[in-house]
Order: sequence, then structure tokens, then C-alpha cells
Amino acid sequence: MLDAFIQGLLLVLQWKAFVFMLAGIFVGFWVGLLPGLGGATTLALMLPFIYNMQPVEAFAFLLGMHSVVATTGDITSILFGVPGEATTAAIILDGHAMAKRGEAGRALGAALASSFVGALIGAAALALAIPIVRPLVLTFGSPELFMLAIVGLAFIASLSAQGARGMVRGFLAGGLGLFLAMVGQDPQAGVARYTLDTLYLWQGLDLVPVLVGLFAIPEIIDLVVRGTSIAGNAPAGRISKGVFEGVKDVFRNWWLTVRCGLIGTFIGLTPGLGGAVAQWMAYGHATQSARTAEERKGFGQGDVRGVIGPGAACNSKEGGALIPTIAFGVPGGASMAILLGGFFLLGLVPGPDMLTKHLPVTFSLVWTIVIANIITVVACFLLLNRLTALTNVQGHLLVPVVLVLVFIGSYTSNSSYADILVSLIFGALGYFMVVAGWPRAPLVLGLVLGKIAENYLYISVARYDFAWLGRPVVVVLLIIAVGVILFPAVQAWRSRRAHG
Amino acid sequence: MANRTSLGLAIVIMLLSAHGIYSAHEWPLKAKLFPLVIAIPLFFLAAAEALWVIFGKSPTASASDFKLSEDQPAEVARRRTLLATGWAIGFFVLILLLGFPIAVAAMVFAYLTVQGKEGWIFSVVFTAAVWFFFYGLFELLLHMHFPDGWLFGGFGGF
Repeated sequence: MLDAFIQGLLLVLQWKAFVFMLAGIFVGFWVGLLPGLGGATTLALMLPFIYNMQPVEAFAFLLGMHSVVATTGDITSILFGVPGEATTAAIILDGHAMAKRGEAGRALGAALASSFVGALIGAAALALAIPIVRPLVLTFGSPELFMLAIVGLAFIASLSAQGARGMVRGFLAGGLGLFLAMVGQDPQAGVARYTLDTLYLWQGLDLVPVLVGLFAIPEIIDLVVRGTSIAGNAPAGRISKGVFEGVKDVFRNWWLTVRCGLIGTFIGLTPGLGGAVAQWMAYGHATQSARTAEERKGFGQGDVRGVIGPGAACNSKEGGALIPTIAFGVPGGASMAILLGGFFLLGLVPGPDMLTKHLPVTFSLVWTIVIANIITVVACFLLLNRLTALTNVQGHLLVPVVLVLVFIGSYTSNSSYADILVSLIFGALGYFMVVAGWPRAPLVLGLVLGKIAENYLYISVARYDFAWLGRPVVVVLLIIAVGVILFPAVQAWRSRRAHG
Repeated sequence: MANRTSLGLAIVIMLLSAHGIYSAHEWPLKAKLFPLVIAIPLFFLAAAEALWVIFGKSPTASASDFKLSEDQPAEVARRRTLLATGWAIGFFVLILLLGFPIAVAAMVFAYLTVQGKEGWIFSVVFTAAVWFFFYGLFELLLHMHFPDGWLFGGFGGF
């Protein structure tokens, strides 16, 4: 085992594999920065280039690219409030709020450091979990996966606003997200639901234009209203100074970083949930780490824990998602499904062979994640001063550029003008939600989880009738969901009692 | 303002979910199970929020989310919000009419000169830089296809 581990490292460090990894990192760096250009799409675009490569070179290229996309996606999310990737939207809530307070450097430092720690956790999980993961994954059937989706939604809906009324709004937003997820062709009966008789809506609402509109348009409007730069009147020298403060924040909140990294890994290895879920679950957990309701009010206003949680989860999920992909040939998400295609193109069959005959190749994947993240984080730190300076650029110079990126980012998801229209509609919805004090995070999670939850609910009912409600893991998850919903009320009651 | 907007959102969600429930009745059980499971509680939650706004006395709940800046007078904020909305919609209309390549240049230049009050030389140079970035990356490097605008006879893109 140790031999294979070291052999995996040596394979990645071969000059050809290393050069391909650098090329992948370069592509992934820019793909992450640009809104709308997704990591999965780019993986698919790059797949034809691997035909003539050796397996280690091909995976160094593909995985090197894929494992840095989320890291650089955080940069766009924090600096401009525009999600660089669908998987980096949660970090906007606190990261961009920090940038507007003149703490872009600190937010980026925290995001990069937590991303790096998250990537290491994911890679370690991949290395350690291979022999023990099989029974764990196999205990999760459709009922458990449905309940996991419900727990995720309960987390974010109950924790993203304060008080009973805030919780109603959280669940309203989450319910709206679930409802919107039903737009499109129903997977069981083939009925076109809520498509307004348009072909575009048959495939459902695409996540990218929805996210870009929901988060970027309100920020653009606010930037125009303020008439200043993103960092407002914060003194120019201060912005990038906090970088190491951000890194220290990760170590100050070490256990939160580790827990969110583990959440990301777990979501990653659970087939079908995907990266967009991991970040919101981690955000919900970070919110839960606030000890009082007063402390929780700081989330969304620039609490560094709201950056650290999603940052760690976003990168750790990659290692987690590789586990079922390699061990069982069951991809954890869209990107892993494309990577699985890469396995077959190269003549490798995921399964027992990858854990025996091709073990060094499997460990080379672990090393690729680690080395690619080290290189990206170092490159980002070197460029941080220039990147954070962008928050001091006057708003009237940024607005047209960001608008161009937002519209192109939306358009590129399906090459349809309707995507831009969807962005504008969700931009208006996002703006009104912000004005009314409704949380946007549950809406996004509902939209992401809707289709998954429906599929798992249907399979559970079809296969077990209502007996699935009595399965032990389902009961445990149900108790967790109820606990999560009651948690803010219990916390408020304890706080009231403590204050007499 | 927050309460009125919340009431508006709640009413829109009530209408949406009512439409969702009504439409679902025609579908087979497989297709309507989940929509009904979601839309019925959603309707009642939205109704609860609407009643809360109309009759409730509790202060507005704050969300763990981004807050709009409040350092401008309400009238200025409203005017600038409408202006920003106008620019975004105007850009979309430009894209439809002229296609992406021309609309990007036209929008950036117009924004800089009209809204940003920048000089002509700076605006031309800045616009050219943005346009070459757009063209180099999306057209030359990524080979993305941007349809012609409707004014040039290409009614595609939707």
C-alpha cells in the first residue's frame, strides 16, 4: 500500500504528467474565474485531448484542471458577488460582504486557506476511505438519500434567518426552490410540467443563469446605487493587508474548517447530491456554529466563518466524489460522470482493478489533487494584491464589465437568449428577496435538491411503499432534521434564560 | 418597503403554488405526487407570511444574507435602482437587436460616456480592451457561436 502511495507521487512528478497538470491548472484557473463557464463543461471539452495520453498524464491534466476550478471560482464570488462557479455561490453571502467592507484580502486569504485544507481533507479521505467506504455507501439507498436532501434543506432554511418569522421565510424560499425545480419534463411519466408551452423549459431551469441572476443582479444594482467602488470608502492600503489574517482565521476556526471539509467529502461521496449541495450544507453548519442568535445575525454581513465553511467543503468534495467513481464506477456528480468517461477512453475500468492492479494510478489522483491545489493557492497568493485592487476600481468602470460577464456567463450555459431572460427574472426575484429580508440560500438549495429529492422519493415509495419511513438511517436523519429545525428555538430559549 | 415587498412575494408564491396545484390535477400520480407534496404546504406558508404582514406586529426578521446599502437618500436610491435596471434591460435588448459582438462594444461605450461621464478617448480605449477580451476569449479561443442580431436578419438565439 505504501509502495503504491509513493509510486503514485512519482508518477505525477514525471515531467510529462507534471507539464500536463500545469496546463490543466492554467485552464482551470481561468475557467473558475469566469462566471458561467462550468468545470463540468470544460472537462467535457477537454476530454477529446486525452486520447493520446497515458492514464497518469490524462488524469493529471483533467483532475489538475477540475480540482482548481472551485478555488478560483471563490475569487470572482468574493470580489464581484458573481458566482464564478455554480459551486461557489454560498461564499458570496459573507465573502462579498467582507469585500464591500474593505476586507477582500482577508476574505480571499480565508477562502484560499480553507479551500486548501478542504482539498487535503478530501484527498486524505480518498486515500484512507477506499478499503472502508463500500459498506458505508451501500447502506444509503433511495430513502436515506431523500432524507439527506431534506436534512440539507432543513439546515439552511432554519438557520438562514432569525426567529419564527425568519424560519417561515426560510422554508418559503426553500419550498419555492423545490417548486421551481419541478419545471421541465417529469422523469417518471414524461409530463411537461410548468413549461409555459416553451421548448426551452422542457429541460428545466438551468442552475447557472438562475444563480448568476439571483446573486449578481442585486449586487450590480447596489453598486450603481452606492456610486462608489466595491470596497466603498475603505482605505486603499488596507484591502489586501488582511490576507494573512484570513489564513489565521482558518486556524482560529480549525475544527469548523475540518468539519465543513468532512461535510464536503461526505456529500461528494454520496452519489447524486453534488458540489452545489455541499457548499450550502457547510454554510448552514457554519451558521450553526454561532453560539447566540445575536452572533448569527453577523452571517450574511461578513462573518469570516461564512467564507471558511463553504470554502473547505467546495474543495473537499472532489476527493469524496472520486471515491465512488473509482471504487464502484458510480459518479458522485456531473463532473465525475465525465471523468468516468475519461477512464473508459483510456481503457481503465473503475472497480476492484483500480484498488489492486492500478492502485498507483489511483494514488496518483490523490497526489494530483494535493499538488494542483498547492500550486493554485501559491499562484493565487502571489496575485492577490492585484486581484484585491479590483475592489477599489470605481463602480462605473466595473458595472459594464460585470454586466457583460453576467450576460455571457448566462448565455454560455445553453447558448440561448432565454438564459439571459432567466437571469434577469431571477435577478429581479433576488433583488426583491433582499429588500424583503428573505434568505436566498434556501431557494438555491431547494432548486438544486428538487429533482434529486423527487427521484429518490418516487423510488422509495414505489419500492418500499411507506415502510421506508421506518428504516433506521431514515429515522436518525429525520431526528436530525427535527433537531436542526428546533435548534434556533432552543438556542433562543437558552439565551433568554441565561440573561434572566 | 420591506413589508410591502414581502407581502408581494407571498402573494406571488400563493398564486404560483395555486396554479401548480390546479395544473397537477390533470397529471398521472407519478407526475403529480411531488408537485402536490410541495405546492400545498407552500401555499399555506405563503398565506401565513401574507397574514403575518397584514396583521402581525412583530418586527421584520433579518436574513443571513446581503443587505442593500442605506447610505443614500431613499429618492436617490430609487432613481439609481431604476437606472441600473434600465441599463441591464437595455443591454439585453441591444444583444437581441445587434447580437453580442456589437452590443458589448455599444453598451460598454454608452455606459462609460453617459453614466460614468468619462472622456471619449478613455471610453474608446476601455471599450476596445473589453471587446478584445470578449472576442479573443469567447470567439477565437472557445469558438462560441453568437447569433446575429435581429436587425441583421438573424431571428435565432431563443
